[in-house]
Amino acid sequence: MDASSSGIQEPFDLIRLSLSERVFVKLRGDRELTGVLHAYDGHMNLILSDVEETIMIVDQVEGAPEGHATVNVAKRKMEMLFVRGDGVILVSPPSRT
Amino acid sequence: MDDSTPPPPPPAAAEPPPPPTTSGSPTDFLKGVVGKRVVVRLTSGVDYRGILSCLDGYMNIALEQTEEHVNGRVTNRYGDAFIRGNNVLYISAAEPL
Repeated sequence: MDASSSGIQEPFDLIRLSLSERVFVKLRGDRELTGVLHAYDGHMNLILSDVEETIMIVDQVEGAPEGHATVNVAKRKMEMLFVRGDGVILVSPPSRT
Repeated sequence: MDDSTPPPPPPAAAEPPPPPTTSGSPTDFLKGVVGKRVVVRLTSGVDYRGILSCLDGYMNIALEQTEEHVNGRVTNRYGDAFIRGNNVLYISAAEPL
């Protein structure tokens, strides 16, 4: 297998190397999370702590030209969170240098 | 045919042949693009451009130097990104194989 510079053999290695680190998670429904990753499984069910959720709420103003919708952002914090894997789109670990 | 003078071995024996670009299975294509720049389009229409680190049988994908493109604009950058396979619409080679 052509392991790249970071030495990753399979995608889940990226997640395994992010345990105990703060990760960014993009979810279905225009939601994003940042939190410390404590556990995961093959479904990408996640356990996160010290979580901030960001919810993008797009309001299409009537009569406004397309692409001029206003985006409201709601945030909330949670101490501990279980994320069901099927809602996960993308997980990004902190940048390793 | 004169059996006493066999033809010389093919000169290509020293190096592996280049990966085929016009034949082969989808798996062969995916093996060929590992380590290359790719565009991953999700069913939501969002594009991720980056270097394909690896992928697995669920089409979970690990990307490096990833740019997130929405409507042609860069909306995010990630050093590494794990994309859950169920969201993937296609993987396109962004450089010659």
